[in-house]
Amino acid sequence: MINEFELKFKAVLANELLARNAVMSFLSPLNPSYETLCEFKTIISEGVSNAIIHGYKFDNSKDVYLKVIVYENDVEISIRDFGVGIDDVNEARMPHYTSRPDLERAGMGLTIIESLSDSLHISSIPGTGVKLIIRKKLLPQYINE
Amino acid sequence: MENKIKITSFDEGIVIKISGDLDSSKTFLYKEKIHEHMRQIGPRYIIWDFKDLTFLDSAGIGLILGRYNEVERVNGMMGLIGLNTYSRKVIAISGLFSLMKEYASLKAFIKEEKIEQ
Ligand SMILES: Nc1ncnc2c1ncn2[C@@H]1O[C@H](COP(=O)(O)OP(=O)(O)OP(=O)(O)O)[C@@H](O)[C@H]1O
Ligand SMILES: [Mg+2]
Repeated sequence: MINEFELKFKAVLANELLARNAVMSFLSPLNPSYETLCEFKTIISEGVSNAIIHGYKFDNSKDVYLKVIVYENDVEISIRDFGVGIDDVNEARMPHYTSRPDLERAGMGLTIIESLSDSLHISSIPGTGVKLIIRKKLLPQYINE
Repeated sequence: MENKIKITSFDEGIVIKISGDLDSSKTFLYKEKIHEHMRQIGPRYIIWDFKDLTFLDSAGIGLILGRYNEVERVNGMMGLIGLNTYSRKVIAISGLFSLMKEYASLKAFIKEEKIEQ
């Protein structure tokens, strides 16, 4: 492990920007390409918006937890909520599956995380929330010691 | 980059230019603004201009798909302009290229799709 940070914030959509900017500031010194940085931001927003919209159903008294760890060759992101959880993780991962078509959700968030990252692990016990563990390569030649 | 939406019209279509970040905190307001224009114009064509877009996720994909279903109902069409490598990638992952194409410009869309002027 080279570096690490944790952030706890209320389940408010505006805090997606806080989470994105925190990750951007944290990873920028490693000199990722513009595109890679954008991909990290999208991954973060997908996880955080799911926690707020689905996990907590917009209850802004609840907390979302974000942790980012930089390793030699890649970055690990954990996003945790203590909301309603997911009954069927395999169904949730399916492209186009959404439980909230009324909110004009596309059902693509988890699919986008999966495609933009190298691995996505979802653990959920219904009633106790969701934890996402995402790993994405950040090549060592970008790292500026 | 300031977050904003600018909607302009052409013939039977509208161009929706979104600048800055398009995330879950923006989509509701932007949908209302787009609907306002759609009520006035009743467009058959919608072009999204993402030249100045700095952030895209599934919330934006939902906004695009919602409007796609609306122009589809009037036998319309949708196109994308101003994509960069990043926005093109998120759009490709979401499968939107099976529903709409990318064009070099509004002019190219009108020409390639033989939109009557
Ligand atoms: N943190 C979470 N807590 C509870 N349910 C979740 C959580 N994350 C995802 N889900 C469930 O998994 C489904 C799929 O999630 P996904 O992010 O792929 O799509 P979406 O959020 O519904 O739509 P989009 O991300 O395209 O806006 C959600 O509709 C929801 O039912
Ligand atoms: Mg989602």
